[in-house]
Amino acid sequence: MGGVARALLRRAVQAALVVILVSALCFTLVRILPGDQALRIAEGRYGYDRVTAAAADAVRAELGLDRPAIEQFAAWVGRLARGDLGASLVTGERVVAEVAYQLGHSLMLALAALAIALVIGPILGLFAGLRPGGVVDQAGMVGAAALRAMPVFALGIGLMLVFGVALGWLPVAGFHEAENIILPALALGLGLAAASARVARDATVAVTSAPFFRFALLRGLTRAQAVWQHVPRNAAVPVLAYLGVQLALLVEGVVVVESLFGWPGIGHALSHAIAARDVPMLQGTALSLGLIFVALNAATDLAMIALDPRRR
Amino acid sequence: MTPALTIEDLHAHAGDAVLLRGVSLAVVPGVPLTILGETGSGKTLVAEAAMGTLAPELAASGRVALGGAVSEAGAPDARRGLWGRGIALLPQEPWLALDPTQRVLAQVAEGHRFIRGLAASEARARAREDLAALGLADAVRRYPHQLSGGMAQRVAVAAARAGGAPLLLADEPTKGLDADLRDAVVALLRGALEAGGALLCITHDIAVARALGGEIMVMLRGEVVERGPTAQVLGAPRHAYTRRLLAAEPQAWAERARPVPGAEVLSATGLAAERGGRRLFAGLDLAVGAGEWVAVTGPSGCGKTTLGNILLGLLQPVAGAVRRRGGLARTRYQKLYQDPVATFAPRLDLRTALAEAARLHAVPWAQVAAMLDRLRVADALLDRRPDQVSGGELQRIAIARALLPDPVFLFADEPTSRLDPITQQETMEVLRDVSAERGLAVLLVTHDQAMARKVAGRQLVLPGP
Amino acid sequence: MRGLRRGSARGLAPARVLGATLVGLVVAMAVLGPLLVEGSPTRQDLSAVLQPPSAEALLGRDHLGRSVLVRLVHAARLSVSLGAAAVAAAALPGILLGLLAAWAGGWTDRVLSGFGDAVLALPGLLLVLLVVALAPGAFWPLFIGLSLAMWVEWFRVTRAASAALLASPAVEAARLLGFGPWHVLRRHVLPEMMPLFGTLAAFGCAGAVLAVGALGFIGIGLRPPTAEWGLMMVELLPYYDEAPLAMLAPALCLFALVLGLQLLAGRDPR
Repeated sequence: MGGVARALLRRAVQAALVVILVSALCFTLVRILPGDQALRIAEGRYGYDRVTAAAADAVRAELGLDRPAIEQFAAWVGRLARGDLGASLVTGERVVAEVAYQLGHSLMLALAALAIALVIGPILGLFAGLRPGGVVDQAGMVGAAALRAMPVFALGIGLMLVFGVALGWLPVAGFHEAENIILPALALGLGLAAASARVARDATVAVTSAPFFRFALLRGLTRAQAVWQHVPRNAAVPVLAYLGVQLALLVEGVVVVESLFGWPGIGHALSHAIAARDVPMLQGTALSLGLIFVALNAATDLAMIALDPRRR
Repeated sequence: MTPALTIEDLHAHAGDAVLLRGVSLAVVPGVPLTILGETGSGKTLVAEAAMGTLAPELAASGRVALGGAVSEAGAPDARRGLWGRGIALLPQEPWLALDPTQRVLAQVAEGHRFIRGLAASEARARAREDLAALGLADAVRRYPHQLSGGMAQRVAVAAARAGGAPLLLADEPTKGLDADLRDAVVALLRGALEAGGALLCITHDIAVARALGGEIMVMLRGEVVERGPTAQVLGAPRHAYTRRLLAAEPQAWAERARPVPGAEVLSATGLAAERGGRRLFAGLDLAVGAGEWVAVTGPSGCGKTTLGNILLGLLQPVAGAVRRRGGLARTRYQKLYQDPVATFAPRLDLRTALAEAARLHAVPWAQVAAMLDRLRVADALLDRRPDQVSGGELQRIAIARALLPDPVFLFADEPTSRLDPITQQETMEVLRDVSAERGLAVLLVTHDQAMARKVAGRQLVLPGP
Repeated sequence: MRGLRRGSARGLAPARVLGATLVGLVVAMAVLGPLLVEGSPTRQDLSAVLQPPSAEALLGRDHLGRSVLVRLVHAARLSVSLGAAAVAAAALPGILLGLLAAWAGGWTDRVLSGFGDAVLALPGLLLVLLVVALAPGAFWPLFIGLSLAMWVEWFRVTRAASAALLASPAVEAARLLGFGPWHVLRRHVLPEMMPLFGTLAAFGCAGAVLAVGALGFIGIGLRPPTAEWGLMMVELLPYYDEAPLAMLAPALCLFALVLGLQLLAGRDPR
């Protein structure tokens, strides 16, 4: 089996685990939460004022809420497999429709943040690593350490207050214009950029002290030629490997940043769903976030395989 | 003929330590020059002086004439412009010197493109020719991890010479290679001479020097102690150190009476082993008697170490059985390793390590001290950590440790292959003495046919893949 | 010739010293603060809303007239103890199961590793959120969720490092000499892993503290009127103009603690 097939299989298993884990936790949640489940679902469907005991009983019979737990779970997973995520208990909208709308916003934000991280981080890291101990290295790495320690929400507030309120350059909220994405994407991307700068810096130092780099110089290549020929690709592999680890932070950051900036994405909806104990929405949003995580991981795997022939 | 490289009166010192003392040499095209010496003799510093890569903290003096220009030996960057054009360095362990993410062809083409200034397509065509000439026509699209050690060595030669340098500098070209590949390396180096090139080879391996021929310089503690035509110097050495070095070659070791095997300590019948689904050996029968030396030889990857580990019970065979002599504890079967540093806890001083093992086997410390004395291990060494003593010293300490459980059988897995020749001889002598005194049976894995013939009463040759 | 020398190994020592100092300061604040600064973190004084710093409240008062300094030191105590407790709760099972998997190998290893992979399938905070959803605002789900998300890191690092150590010639030689498991653990495995554990603990504590702050900030962590840094920031966000110090102070404390822990940890072990 080739490296690509192995990587994709591993991620497919991970995706299956995400579905099982999230649905099992959400199912448990429904059973643990106080109050009559059927009544709550009926409320979600018909509205608080129009719900009756008869409607609740109808829901109970329809969803089989009076049957044993294991049967209920099978039914729960069965509905999930058919793509039926139920309706939000708060808005009454179909979860699939809501999530489909939010998914685009979240993906846009995540990709913008990744783009910022991958443009700033590795380039800064490369220049820092080419002159270890130099000005770029020392200043860049102090900055990176500070950024990495900055909580995402504090960074977001700082950006809001400086660029939105004090300077008035950028809007602090809203989501209709292209410029709306800049501040949330920066809040999310700068921390990732700092981490990848650090890794790229160390990788560059490692590559430029590797025997094959030394051999390139001893063969007569100028330093610039040797750097151009041998550093970027070799240094990119550890940067990508670490990015895989960082993706968890990206997904976590999405939840916080969307809530802070009022960005209508999945993370925002997830924190609302938790506060309102809206389990169908919670399941839909957690599943989407988990699957975005798996998809980005798979993309990272494939990029690493493309760069490093030893992984094929 | 004009020398391709001349070094005159090279001195180097770091603080009070004198590292090089008045080394001079001239390399003429067509005649290989070999510098022979042990670790710490300063031979690698000579190569670094030729390239101009001496560490700046070394104070160096002397002159280097290369490519028609004379410069100070210690001047940084003085010969930087001649790299690849006037002097080509063949790296140690060439499989580490190739970019793991780049195909072989591109790495050789680099020299034609960037140093000779050819167009990209022409550079690739020339690289293809270079590789084909070295018998690597099929390997041009491979990545370094898909090459064998010998192939990587040839690719490195092609890449190093692509810039057209007339002088090839080879620093320990056989380091990390099996002895079987030594002849191929020598042929490769001699090939570089054929088109009128010059060769400076630095090695600790007398066999390489002998096979290369030409001229030789023997170095000891930063000084050249003897020089001349290789055949003459190795045939009739004048300096005591050269004689000592030649005497340390296994074929020159004094003959000893081969021990008569005593009662059987270990036997194996019908052994078979696999690695990664590939059969290593099958139907192997072996019996070892007390005091007997059995040498296991064979090409790299043929399962020599696997066999020893199966005999010790560290691995399970695919088929067959191993029988130890009845009633003997497993600890009476011990092992010596190629790299002794890796067999001690890295942060623990050696005294504690030995004391704990002695206590475990109820051996009084006085007895341990006597054994260390017998093995010529200075007591003060024991207060150091494993990476703070030399390889030969640590291997002798490892022998002392392996003797604590009073073993009847010792699996010695290339115990001297990383040691300098003189240290190797001393270590093997000690081991032979101990074996004779205690009736200790030894299963010796080695690449060195001459050593196997010299020390073993019996040889087991594994066929290999 | 710069390229031919090894990249100079930058001394980590100054960074470590700075890290230890920062962590020491915040821990001292958490331990001694509540003893030195009198007052309750939840006592309101609606006549002194958003008061600037004074002798009674050195960092001023928040929108409900509570002393910011008092709340700050109580929040420090909360974050430090929650972080340390979550690390301990994650480290103990993680290390033991990691050693078990590496030692036993075979099916034990496969089952444990599969379990670890399953937990890692979800980003850590998502798992914490799903557990927190059981009882938003309560302390225990937060603690359990954090430990549940964090133990895997300990398990994986311990398993990988100890498997490599157990396969080393040093351990093989020790076993051939007749040394038992306890000796192997004490002499060959644990001494090599201690620096790794220190790094993991510092990173884990930083991660837990950040997560508690982030959850408080988005309103699903600990509930008001608890004094918690993330919560304090979000409560005071509307008043950034009138009481900037009150909003800035918790952010600075959180930043100092996380930066200190990360500097102390050195390189990320993953």
